[in-house]
Amino acid sequence: MAALALAALGALAAGTGCTVANSDSLTGGADGALQIVLQQEPPTLEPCESSLTSTGVVVRSNITEPLIERDPVSGALQPLLATEWKSEGDRTWTFKLRQGVTFQDGSPFDSADAAFSIERAVGSKLGCNVDGYVFADSKLEVATPDPATLTVTTAEPDPILPLRLSFLEIVPTGTDTRAKVREPVGTGPYRISKWDTGISLRLDRYDGYWGAKPAYPAVRYVWRAESSIRAAMVTSGEAGIATGIGPEDGAGDLGVPFPNNETTALRMDGNVAPLNDVRVRRAVNYAIDKNGIVRSLFLKLGEPAGQLVADGVVGHNPAIAAWPYDPAKARALVAEARAAGVPVQTPITLIARNAQFPKVAETAEVIQEALGQAGLNVRIRMLDTAAHLEYQLRPFVRDAGPTLLLIMHGNQAGDAGFTTSQYLVSDGPQSQFGTPALDDMVAKADRTTGAERARAFGEVLAYQNEHVVQYAHIAHMRGLLGIARDVRYKPNSATTDELRLAEVRPAR
Amino acid sequence: MPTFVRRRVVSSALPLVVVILGVFCLARLTGDPAKLYLPLSATPQMRADFLHRNGFDQPLLVQLWDYLRGVFTLDFGESLRTGQDAAGMALRAFPATLQLAGATMLLAIAGAVVIGSWAAYRPNSLADRLSGFLSMTAASMPDFWFAIMGVLVFAVTLGWLPTSGVVGGPEVWVLPLLTLLIRPFGVLVQVVRGAMVSALSAPYVKVARSKGASERRVVFGHALRNAAPPVLTVAGDLTVGLVNGAVVVETIFGWPGIGKLMIDSILQRDFAVLQAAVLVTAVTIFALNILIDLVHALLDARVREAVPA
Repeated sequence: MAALALAALGALAAGTGCTVANSDSLTGGADGALQIVLQQEPPTLEPCESSLTSTGVVVRSNITEPLIERDPVSGALQPLLATEWKSEGDRTWTFKLRQGVTFQDGSPFDSADAAFSIERAVGSKLGCNVDGYVFADSKLEVATPDPATLTVTTAEPDPILPLRLSFLEIVPTGTDTRAKVREPVGTGPYRISKWDTGISLRLDRYDGYWGAKPAYPAVRYVWRAESSIRAAMVTSGEAGIATGIGPEDGAGDLGVPFPNNETTALRMDGNVAPLNDVRVRRAVNYAIDKNGIVRSLFLKLGEPAGQLVADGVVGHNPAIAAWPYDPAKARALVAEARAAGVPVQTPITLIARNAQFPKVAETAEVIQEALGQAGLNVRIRMLDTAAHLEYQLRPFVRDAGPTLLLIMHGNQAGDAGFTTSQYLVSDGPQSQFGTPALDDMVAKADRTTGAERARAFGEVLAYQNEHVVQYAHIAHMRGLLGIARDVRYKPNSATTDELRLAEVRPAR
Repeated sequence: MPTFVRRRVVSSALPLVVVILGVFCLARLTGDPAKLYLPLSATPQMRADFLHRNGFDQPLLVQLWDYLRGVFTLDFGESLRTGQDAAGMALRAFPATLQLAGATMLLAIAGAVVIGSWAAYRPNSLADRLSGFLSMTAASMPDFWFAIMGVLVFAVTLGWLPTSGVVGGPEVWVLPLLTLLIRPFGVLVQVVRGAMVSALSAPYVKVARSKGASERRVVFGHALRNAAPPVLTVAGDLTVGLVNGAVVVETIFGWPGIGKLMIDSILQRDFAVLQAAVLVTAVTIFALNILIDLVHALLDARVREAVPA
């Protein structure tokens, strides 16, 4: 009966000439807006929160712009609101600013705005994500010798300050400094037109934009939590772009794979037996069939990893291969530890986050089985994001026993320094242990630049694998972006965090 | 009747109080929101500022007192996630759920009365068995699966309907409504049929027929009126369930209702919004329950007398 009713209603809808899915909104529906479907509504569009993926994907380089941007393919820094920059000494940087730029409220952009934006976001009471994540504990002094010049002085030498500033979005002076703003004004190619909370967010092209005019006069973001619905929206023509879809969501050839800079790994708590024995931690590495996981669970969307940062990030070490899958060796190492008195049968908790990536629960089960074969006793706990963070971030949950935490790390900054300060040094916010030697190597690497920096961080990552073994790396992941046939866009490693609308065009 | 109403209000208010206190306590057992809202490398000072700014550094009893005061003034504070007024967010989301639940129940009752009466009129006929089988299937259909299949067939394959959304013409209602409708519809067909079978075999129906009443009048005038109380009670319970449980449909179809808001608030440890959303829902369910009892009591005097003092 229900099926009959369903068919009758469907026929009714068709018969009465209702607006059908395909006729609305893709590249030129009634309002000519490009529709993009996201996983979730941005909680805020506050620019200093744009290191949050859900905020950054809308805000960055669309509504607001930084002084400098990082090319997601080459990793090179490119001019944006700053046309050139140079360091004087090892602590002061001078930036020449672009002239003729206006904010979307019509006010002109100059060095006062740049200085204001830095002071508002870094070391302020606002508690901005960009402050903690990109400028952790930095003390910056800014000066404006003239409207077209900005100088930034750091307390300690900071060779990657321009890279850090590429994460800082510029807002006009007068923006609230006591509270975060939900709907900011920026210099970007699009301005916020209407945010219908819970339903959609519309951006309109800003006609006074200093750069090239983007192709779409307007963009409308909607959000659907279910990935198969997002994929269906692209295949049915309701959306031009769908983010965060999986290989099994049915987008077919409209699902475009791209390296998303994310790496999955197990973080091992080396403070608690049996994981405090390096033989056991090595056994975990040998026991996991990374190729098998990538092939069968990730449907080849990824490649086995041997380090926390993917190719393209400064410090990625091409000489590091993924640990070979060697279950016999894993068993032997566990047996050796058992013989030496290590309580290898102590239950180890494998903690994973629901929906962190496609097939995350199955990945945890495969790992559990593999470690069981190696002689370890593993049980799984699947948690939501907030509960997972209790284990992921300091202060960690106490008395949790030995834990293996399934993490996914994305280094969108393109520099391994952001990874090592979080995940590898002994007191890193996401690191459970380390060694003084490794801490020392990281500190030295942090003071270098250029090729020397790449080599120094590459050595840090190799040293971790050989001497510390806090991680069992699993895979460098690839994402899928749903792109409708009549939309042209080439996703890159930054797309998840920064989907530049100016790069999206109609295909015809 | 006023005594009946007073007694029902008092006996229904206790669960409301339990819900109000329970959501406060349970929310605080779910973990530290600071980790979700602060930068990964936040300093202890930033953390202390966050806790202070949001009142989480206060003793639990002080927080509870603030919350209870808020309940009476409808001031639940601000959302941690969006910075917006929490009560406002809950009140904005609620009509979307009510509209969906109300429309669903109207369709379900109307359809069930027709199909259930038809089946009951000819018990054990092919039509009766067919409607029994299909309504059982509908009543046990997982709504998640049904929603996804609906999207696959009607949106992706046939292109007749949009996959989701809330803005647009009547077409945006079809898939969410059908998904939400299918289970209550299946249940109600069974209830209507059962009630009508016993009503149609009751002596007063025979009397009505012997007096020459038309079959339409017998079925809809006599039998259905007497079959109505159990049907309305079940329909009321199902409506309560819809208001409370539209989460799946709202999540899948991007319907900005209270169910989705609650789930998002739990996942985001957005206590203020969660508390506001639960209160709005609980009060509505409280009111719905009273309404159901009233209707039931109006239809059946035995119910009025059965409520203890």
